[in-house]
Amino acid sequence: MWFEDVPLGTTITIGSYLFTEDNIIAFAKRYDPQPFHVDKDAAARSPYGGLIASGWHTAAVWMKLMMAYRRDHVAAGAADTQANYVSPGVRDICWLRPVRPGMVLTYTNKPSAKLDWPSRPQYGLLEGENEAHDQEGTLVYSFVNRVMLLRRPAL
Amino acid sequence: MTELLHFEDFRAGQLFELGAHVLDTDEMIEFAREFDPQPQHLDPEAAQHSMLGGLAASGWYLCALAMRMMVDGLFNRSTSLGAPGVDEVQWRKPVRAGDRVHLNCEVLETRGSSRPERGFVRFRFSMWRIIDGADDERVMMFVCSVMFGRRKGGV
Repeated sequence: MWFEDVPLGTTITIGSYLFTEDNIIAFAKRYDPQPFHVDKDAAARSPYGGLIASGWHTAAVWMKLMMAYRRDHVAAGAADTQANYVSPGVRDICWLRPVRPGMVLTYTNKPSAKLDWPSRPQYGLLEGENEAHDQEGTLVYSFVNRVMLLRRPAL
Repeated sequence: MTELLHFEDFRAGQLFELGAHVLDTDEMIEFAREFDPQPQHLDPEAAQHSMLGGLAASGWYLCALAMRMMVDGLFNRSTSLGAPGVDEVQWRKPVRAGDRVHLNCEVLETRGSSRPERGFVRFRFSMWRIIDGADDERVMMFVCSVMFGRRKGGV
């Protein structure tokens, strides 16, 4: 989909992910080895009362699901206009609730703003509001992503 | 055992060096395969044609790597209780396999919490590429507030 074609304000569900003791600990051992992310016993004694996922794990899963969502859409016949998704950054990351083993988070994305990117006029900058809810429907994570999308080539 | 850093030990203007790292091709690609499987993060040939001009680390990998350096360099010798979020992440330059980077953080402000046993420290974390014979180049930056425990009986 070209930059011009993305509808603003429409929420899509990009996918769900089960956080387990194994994947929480595996991620955190490499990238965030704080006791409440890697050690069940230490986590039980922490203010969190048990093991919780690294916030960067919750964040990286969004990217994983977004890539799978786009791949599936292209496989289903959507136009594959963007060879790469490049981002200058993200903002307003909110880890609102601890993510614990057994939680399934469902991630959504809502394109919310289109901005110009003067240094690369062939691209536009799309901002999106992203949320993840648990099985009970409680909001546990949100952030705003920014991605550069190719504009529709001039005819 | 070294005394842990508590909330009271942080003051605006402090600068902490959090270590250096050489980006490892296999680890970069392994992360991308799991969380961000795009050509510019996986395939050196295909990456030549992307906006990044060659194989580059996923921004989410850089966040995870920075987190690891933060834990090893600061948080695991502190009373850190994690962060409720990140104000802004800027991915400013492509970071490539073999690049030497270092991470530092500046304390922007400290403030109390509604819970008297905790406080928040707001940091600006910067990842810098080390370039022989030139100034370091800031490749990533993020601003976030981290919760720390206070000393017992502290005011």
